[in-house]
Amino acid sequence: MREMISMIVVLTLLASVSGGLLAAVKSGTEVRIEEQILQFQKAPAIESLFTDVTNDPLKERFNLETEGGTLQMFPGKLQDGSKAVAFETFGKGGYGGDIGLMVAINLDSDQLVGARVTTHAETPGLGSRAKDDLTFVSQFNNKPVDANLALKADNGSIDAISGATVTARAVTRAAILAQELYSQLKPEILKQIQ
Amino acid sequence: MNNTKLTVSHAPFWHDGDSLFQKNLNYMLALLPAAIFGILQFGAPALGVMALSLSCAMLWELVINRISKKPATIGDLEAAVIGLLFGMMLPAITPWWIIVVGTFVAVFIGKMIFGGIGGSPFNPTLIGMAVLMMSWYMFFDFDTAYVDYEFAFTALAPLAAVKAQGAAAADMFALGDLLMGREVGAIGATFGLGLIIGGIYLILRGYARWELAVSFIAGILVTAFLFHAASPDAYAGPLFHLLSGYTLLGAFFLITESASSPVNRIPMLIYGFLGGFMIILMRNVGAYADGTILAILLVNVVSPLLDNIRPNALGKGMNNA
Amino acid sequence: MAQSLAKEFTKGLWAEIPPFRLVLGLCPTLAVTKTVENGIGMGLATTFVLVFSNLLISILRNAIPPKVRIACYIVIIATFVTIVELVMQAFTYPLFLTLGIFIPLIVVNCIVLGRAEAFASKNTPVLAVADGLGIGIGFTLSLASLGAVRELIGAGTITIWGGNPVFAVGDWYHPFSFMVEAPGAFVALGLMLACMNLIGKK
Repeated sequence: MREMISMIVVLTLLASVSGGLLAAVKSGTEVRIEEQILQFQKAPAIESLFTDVTNDPLKERFNLETEGGTLQMFPGKLQDGSKAVAFETFGKGGYGGDIGLMVAINLDSDQLVGARVTTHAETPGLGSRAKDDLTFVSQFNNKPVDANLALKADNGSIDAISGATVTARAVTRAAILAQELYSQLKPEILKQIQ
Repeated sequence: MNNTKLTVSHAPFWHDGDSLFQKNLNYMLALLPAAIFGILQFGAPALGVMALSLSCAMLWELVINRISKKPATIGDLEAAVIGLLFGMMLPAITPWWIIVVGTFVAVFIGKMIFGGIGGSPFNPTLIGMAVLMMSWYMFFDFDTAYVDYEFAFTALAPLAAVKAQGAAAADMFALGDLLMGREVGAIGATFGLGLIIGGIYLILRGYARWELAVSFIAGILVTAFLFHAASPDAYAGPLFHLLSGYTLLGAFFLITESASSPVNRIPMLIYGFLGGFMIILMRNVGAYADGTILAILLVNVVSPLLDNIRPNALGKGMNNA
Repeated sequence: MAQSLAKEFTKGLWAEIPPFRLVLGLCPTLAVTKTVENGIGMGLATTFVLVFSNLLISILRNAIPPKVRIACYIVIIATFVTIVELVMQAFTYPLFLTLGIFIPLIVVNCIVLGRAEAFASKNTPVLAVADGLGIGIGFTLSLASLGAVRELIGAGTITIWGGNPVFAVGDWYHPFSFMVEAPGAFVALGLMLACMNLIGKK
């Protein structure tokens, strides 16, 4: 009986100390981790989407509350004076989990500026081409927000990546999600940017 | 009581009284028609590639023999066969360093590491080819390799053309042309007739097992026929597949490699058929234009498993007898 | 005391160098050693976990009931692994991305559990730390050397830290990219093991 109690006490103590320690480390690193994700995952995608903006989209970012949680918005002022916004959505059902897609939309013309894959765990050389080879994502360039962004195989307008249809479909899911979010959030985005 | 334990060694078992030297000499003899045709077709560079490949393979084996302080085994010509086959699977303009590295991988990693002759679980030549193709696939594109050549026939690699343009491209290549080597490809793999003659010679002399070659070809024909029948527009016909790429070289010289293939008749038939089936699957469904190399390596893995199908031992009627 | 301390430390560097002599911890060894940098990063993360889990387990070795000792070890190891994961995410994010799943998998790395069970639970904290440090550095060195072989042959570069190569062979070199692929890892590890045995024999 004594052994039993000592087992329970030791394990409980260990687990709770470990839990407390981890909570402390987690809260201590949280801000920095967010900055790092911003710097290494989102910043490259945003920079390659907004090649000639006159402002700093990363500095001027703001958060919007949606049903699915907080969404980071990166506003950009394009060369011709029109405003655009970029945000990240996640497409379900990739070969290696969800695929992050940064979508930039022109607020004045309601057209997609473009899209870039941010995070993925797809097969190198096949699915990873969604990120590395821009011919696939450049199909999103200048598409109107109400265009059908599904794959051609799903009666949409986007060519799949040969050998990586699953990946391509997940990317289009992210793009379609971005369209929905945009149409819901447009008034709020405009309010924030003013 | 005599308690001597007899250990049964692994394949190959069959023996016809010939030495390894004679066997390998006959293998090279059988390869000669296709090799000579390759030299005639692609000129002196083809001779250079094959000569370098053959000599490098033997040299590597000698070097490894010296390092491991074992008696030199190059006299049995096994390395020479690996080198010759390897050279015949390359395009004629392959850079020298590819051949040096490739023969090293084939002889050292493919064969010597497993204890030399008879020990290799994979076909050594194919290990070399697969590793090279993984690293330097751009040098194995037969279309760009022969860009400086002038041919009197369609200067397109048949399998790559079919892969890129669909089954309609197969009509550009007459079957007779493919059989007579009027196609672009590896030095020793284009002359189908020569390979068939060499292969039949080996089978008649008993060096290559007919079960393997026949079931391999059957696997290709049956699978390709099924694909072709299901959708003639999408998939090329069975004879086209049989006569293009490495297929014939594979059927008579690669899948019959004795150390990595099964030893009993039924397993051999399954093994060969599976190889042919995998090749067509890779060509029609997979990402590779010519799946011969990977398909044979894949069935090499299955070989020990297939050898579990074996006849009952004589006199073993009851348990614990 | 000082002598045995030195002995416990140095045995991890040669006589019991984990992947080559003990043939332990092969999963990260094979998976992450595409570059020297990955090898060093993985090795340092494992060293950190090893040292602190060894220390804590050695301190608590009389308090931990033998029947639940493995569960206790796992809780301790998992805590340190999670700390490493969070810290790497915060400070070396690109490295964290390339190492990916293999950081959390340190928990089930048999080197860490093996040292806890075989050494730390029977020895004093000072010796346990020396043992963890030695084994950890040995592991880092092996990963870095395997990474160096694979990266040099497979990509023609050497990357020690920060993602930029400190050495590149040059444009004339056609990288033998087989070596940075998965099968190349097995071949390279096998050849290095063979070399180690060859040296050890003499």
